[in-house]
Parts: sequence; structure tokens; C-alpha cells
Amino acid sequence: MFDFSLKFAALTASNTALIVGVLTASSQAQVREESRAMVLLRSLPTLSASHSVAIVELDPESEDFGKIISEVEQPELEHPLHHLYYSPNGRLYSTGLDPKCSLAEIGLARDSTGAPEVTGIQCLDTAGQMVGEDIMWTRSNGTEYMFVTFMGGLGQADGGTVGVFDAQTNEVIKVIEARKSEVGENAPYILYPHGISAFDDRMVVTSTVHPDLATGVGNTVTIIDLNTLEPVQTIEVQGEMPVGFPSSPVEVLFARPSIHEDIEPAVLVNTMFGFETWSIPYDAEAKTFGPAEVVYSGVQNGTAVPLEFYGNDTELFISHALPGVVKRYDLSKLPKLVSSGPDIVADAGAHHMIFFTTKSGREVIAIQNNLLNLGDAKANDPTDVDFIAGLNAHTITVHDLATGERLATVNFRERYKKGVDNVEGLFGAGFVHHH
Amino acid sequence: MSKGFLAQGSFTTTEKRQNIKMKLGIAGLCLAIFIALLSAFWISRSPPVPTAIADFKAPFVFGRFSIPEDNPLTEEAFQLGRRLFYDPMLSGDNSMSCATCHQQERAFTDGQPVALGHGGKELAFNSMSLANLLWGPRRFFWDGRSPTLEHQALQPLINPDEMQQPLDELVRELKSAPEYPEMFWKAYGEVSEENVARALATFMRMLISANSKYDRYLRGELRLSPQEEHGRKLFMAHPDVKVSLRGGNCIDCHSQFVTAGFSDGWDGFINNGLDAEQNLGRGLEAVTGDILDRGKFKTPTLRNIAVTGPYMHDGRFATLSEVLTHYNSGIQFSDTLSPLILEADNTVVDPIAAHGLGLAPKEVDAIIAFLHTLTDEAFLTEPKFSSPFEEETQ
Repeated sequence: MFDFSLKFAALTASNTALIVGVLTASSQAQVREESRAMVLLRSLPTLSASHSVAIVELDPESEDFGKIISEVEQPELEHPLHHLYYSPNGRLYSTGLDPKCSLAEIGLARDSTGAPEVTGIQCLDTAGQMVGEDIMWTRSNGTEYMFVTFMGGLGQADGGTVGVFDAQTNEVIKVIEARKSEVGENAPYILYPHGISAFDDRMVVTSTVHPDLATGVGNTVTIIDLNTLEPVQTIEVQGEMPVGFPSSPVEVLFARPSIHEDIEPAVLVNTMFGFETWSIPYDAEAKTFGPAEVVYSGVQNGTAVPLEFYGNDTELFISHALPGVVKRYDLSKLPKLVSSGPDIVADAGAHHMIFFTTKSGREVIAIQNNLLNLGDAKANDPTDVDFIAGLNAHTITVHDLATGERLATVNFRERYKKGVDNVEGLFGAGFVHHH
Repeated sequence: MSKGFLAQGSFTTTEKRQNIKMKLGIAGLCLAIFIALLSAFWISRSPPVPTAIADFKAPFVFGRFSIPEDNPLTEEAFQLGRRLFYDPMLSGDNSMSCATCHQQERAFTDGQPVALGHGGKELAFNSMSLANLLWGPRRFFWDGRSPTLEHQALQPLINPDEMQQPLDELVRELKSAPEYPEMFWKAYGEVSEENVARALATFMRMLISANSKYDRYLRGELRLSPQEEHGRKLFMAHPDVKVSLRGGNCIDCHSQFVTAGFSDGWDGFINNGLDAEQNLGRGLEAVTGDILDRGKFKTPTLRNIAVTGPYMHDGRFATLSEVLTHYNSGIQFSDTLSPLILEADNTVVDPIAAHGLGLAPKEVDAIIAFLHTLTDEAFLTEPKFSSPFEEETQ
């Protein structure tokens, strides 16, 4: 098959074939798409624009940096989609803040140039559960399900549910609900759940805040037995009250050996209004949780509104909306928070993040800087809410991962008249330990 | 003048022959004038703008692909490439087409241990499937000797052991054929070797298999059977005895959704333990010259694997069962053996001299059941991938 003779070599112009179909340097670079991000954009109250799902180039070395590659408007909804998640099989889902679309599946495809495109948004039946927040896929009795936290639950003042969905068909299998007003005293309850994480047969969800930000605020996490899909324990994480509210636990990470073999299992919890990170040790053999303790104090360290946990192979990253920084820790030392480097200084509202490598091979972190896309009174915006308005830079900042140096910024408010609610790696997670 | 014409026998008298010669001469002159006018007509026109492939959709989860800037996917290029692919004119004696060794019903393989070239000569390698070439390793052939699909497309034509077709002669034939000049004109502007390569590459790029049971499972349209699901889990897992994780280790080389080798650099080429050191084929070493690449061959797609046997670069295994037996208990150690295979053992913690996966028979059967979910009947019977000549005769 290899030995073609001189005669044939002379008869052919095989070398000319070498010059056709060769990928140029620029088209080679297109093969890499990890720098392209899925983002949820929302109209800002004083700016006329529509909510949308978009794909944005975030490589600072690309001439398309900040450019929207593909965009599809969200359905006619007052409140936009909220958080994006890829299923283990590569299907893209979004939770939503509008009761009409609290959970959706987003269609993706590729055109004849290979470019990714958003093809549509399908709102899913949630059996009345409202205000979707976080999603995770894990097993219960050997079967994989999609678990979704609904901070608004079924609409009650002390509501909040965890929806269990068939991972293939998206059908509701069970609504896990335990309202404080209905369960007995000292019985476990679920209130405004937001964060979700799991290890072995134990799942943990947080009790954050009623979606109207006024009816109630939580200060606990609740453990769910994945064998029975029933809550089994509620644990309080209440310390400092720097703004006078209960602690409002928001995101949670079940630190576990599968993240790093040196990790002793424990639940890490960020409290949005307590400005703290808590650790709750877990004895996997006895299936018991130890006393919760504060492992980071925002009051003592000059930070507020800790939000997300993300990680790579060696570090854990925690975003703090104020002053807008991402702190980094040695992954192997969890659940202790041992610093692994200086803060990455982003913008106010530092929140979700993705990790990728630029065209030249530089490792970077892109941080979405918005807590909620509510307006700012200074912009004559009627949706201004004190305290929250200062947490919305409407930007994605891109930083060198090693040094934290800011390399570039996309200001979505200025460029697209929209806020940016969420960022996710285009082709699955740009991180490994969101839950 | 076509070869078929030359091959006709003679049975007429001298006079008749002279008359026929005269008539043929006149006819030939007319034909020449007609071709010249036709050529002038083609040349005088500006090439039309080719049409983008209508409703092109590729699965997002297959990942990014890249199309050469000088050969975009167009309807005209696809139709031209399809015709060329099935046309025996592409071989020196007009006896073989690309489809001789790449048959649609076998996912564009041929069912032979190794491909059979000109005169039935056994070639060095098994015919590779042409499914989903938009993804996977960016080098082609088992040893990666072609850097582009356009380059690959011409190699079997010019190989004297395969199709024995001088390209300049092919171009002359194509220019003389009644249907090709216009097809080339619409697709690329002119008949040339480069455009033959481009068209064939376009046809091959369009051979997308994405409607198997596994694809429908990924889209949420159906469930796998318990055995298939068991096999899928094993396929996706690297075994780890320490945490009691059973695994078939397939995904370490065959990426999760496309099931082909990885596209970065030479990652899609591995030594999968077929032979001991002294018997290693050169494989990728023949291309890179690096002894550390000895015995490494391209990781093929597993799409439609149930219909593409025999298996491996030399077709040594007739069945999937034989393939699994190799991975389960037949791994041969050599210096370039993939560490991912060396370390894959369901029975030993931290193996240093593993000889196979050590899976139970039920687990082997489950993996084979999962592999059958990769068969895409729609792909194997899709009319637009079939021979246009058969369509024309119907």
C-alpha cells in the first residue's frame, strides 16, 4: 500500500494534493473551542433588549474576543433563565427564574463550518416547582437522576423543593418537599434550596432565601438520603450577621476523596449574608455529620457574599461578590482552606467561572461578575435594590490563572445592553468540582 | 477516446472498415469541435457560487470540526465527490472504485482482513471505516501517513498496488466524460487533480453516522437495555480495584461520543498490545521516524463496529468476541504499549505487567452488547451516500 513506484510518482502530481485541504493556522485554532463560553444574557430594566442564550468568544488572544458567535432569544418570559448545566451525556439544561420556565433544555448543533449554534429552548414540565437554581446528576439505588433545586418550591412562603427527574425523558419522578410548617418540631426540613452536592448516598442542599428576597431567609443545610429520597437531617450554619439577616447558605460542595484522594469528607458551605465558609465533617462509615464550624470569615478578611465553589486538579476556587475576588486554595488540604496563591481580583459581583487555555497555550480563568442582574439606581433603574445593585459589574473578566493578572474584560452592559447571568464552558464543564 | 471503445473487437471487411473509419473520422472531428466549443463555453462562463449544504446539522457533542478554507462543504462538491467515489473510472483499468473497498452497508469497509488491491493483491492494511471523519485523529490511514483528507483521497488512486490510476490520465478522462466537466465547473470551476481530491474529501466528510441507538439514547429518545447500559458503564470506566470500580477502559482511547481516537497531536495513535516487542509493526514510526512510535496505529471509530469486521489494522480478529478476548487476556507487552492499557486491570491494584482487563464473561458480553448500539442502520442505508449510478439505472 505504501510502495508506489517511480513511474507512478512521476505520473502524478501528488505533491500538489498536499497543498489542498491543509488547515491554515487560523483554521487550526478554530478546532479549539474551549475558550468559547455559553452565557445567559438578560435584558436590563432600563435598556431595551431581550433575554438570550449566547455563545461568546472569551480568548483574549482571539480577534473575536467578546464577540457573540451564536444567540437565541429566550422565550417570552419576564424573568430569564438562570444557570446552565451539562448532563453527563452532553445535553444542556438551564434553570429559570420565571415560573413559566423554571427548567429548560437547550438545543445545540453545529453548522457546516463546524461552528456551534444554539438551536432552541424547550421549557420543561416541573410539576409546579418554581425558580430553578442548581442541577446535578447522581444515582439513587443505582439509577441516575437529574436533581434540581427549586428555591420557590410550589409557591408557599416556606416552600422549596428538590425535583427528581428522569435523566432520559426529563419527566418528574418525585418532588422532595419538607416544609418547616408541616413537618414536626426538630424534624428535617427543606427551605428555599439552592446549592446541591452529593457523596455516596448522601445529598446536601442549602436553605438560601425566598425568591422575593423579603419573605424569608434560611440558615441551614439539609441532608437527603439518596436511598429513600427523603430528608434526614437539617444542620444550622449561623454565625456572624453582618447585614442583620440569617446567614443564607447558598452554594455547597461535598468535599470527598473522588475530588482528591487526600480529602477527608466534609460539606463546605458558603453563606451569602453571613459572609462565611463553613465546614461540616462527615463520617462516611457511620453516615454521620459532625459539628459545623467556620473555616473562613468574610468579616475578618474584608470580603462579602461568598458564592461559588469551582476547582481544577489542584486548586479550589471560591468567588466573593464583594469586593469582587476569587480566592484560591490547595485542593488536597480540603476541607481546610489553605491558600494556594493571591486573590484573583475580578469585578464586583464575582460569581461563576470557567477555565481554559488560550490560543498560545496560556491557562486562564474567566469570571462572570454579577450577583443578580438587577438595576442600579444611578442608571435611573426602578429595580435597584440596595446592597445588590453594587454587585453587578455586568462583565466577564479574563485572568492569567497562574498570576491572576487581568488580561481582558467584556462589559456586556456597554457592548450588548445586557447583563450576564451565568457562564459555562461551551463543551461541557471547564471545571471539575462544581458540586 | 475511452478505453471501452478501444477494447471493442473488429469483425468487418476492409471496405466497411474504411467507410466506418471515414464516418468515425467525421464524427470524431465533430466531437472534437463540440468538445472545444463546450470547453470554450465553460471557460467563458464565470464559475457559479456553490450552494451550502442544505440543513446541515452535526451533533454538538461530537465536538468541534474544521473544514479547510479552500474546500468548504457544498452541495455541488458533495454530489461530485459521491459520483467520483463510486466511479470505476478512478482506477487505471476502470475495474475498481473507492466503493470497492469502502462499501456503505459495511460502514464503508469491505469485510476483508486486509484490503484487496489491483488484481486481488492483498494490501498491508484493513480497510478503515469512513464514518465520521470530521472528528477523531487529524491524520489518515492506519499509520497516519496522510496529513489531510484531501491528500488521503488520492493515495489509493495513485498506488500501483491499489487503483493504478495516473492522475493526469484521470483528468483527461474526466474532461472527456459527458457529465463531469459541468459538475466540476459547478463545484470548483475546473477539472483538476486537486479538485478530484477536494470532491472526494467532501463526500467522505459528509459521511456522518449519528443516528444509532446510542445516539438516540444520548438525545434522550430511548433507554438502553440493562445489559447495554451495563456495557456502556464499563465502556466509560477505567478500572480501579482500590475503589471497586469495574471498567472496560475503552473510553481511554475511544472518546466518549464519537468513539474515535483523540484529535490532539498524535494522541489518536496507540500501541494496543497486539504484539510483543520483536513482532511490532512500524505503524506510526513509519511516518515520524521515531522508534517510540513503533507499533502505534490509529484508533478507529467504533461507530458501526458490529458491521466493520474483521478488526485491527491487519484484520487479525474476525469477531468482536475475539477483540474483547484480546483486551481481556491477550495484551502483549512492549516498550511502546499504551500505559492506559498497561494499567487497566480489574483484578490487580497498581498493575505493572498487566495482561488484560480481567473482566467476567458477563461483563464482556455487556460491552459487546453496548458496541452493537453503535450500529446506525440509517447511515448504512442512507440513499444520499449510495451509488448514484444505481439511482440512474433505476
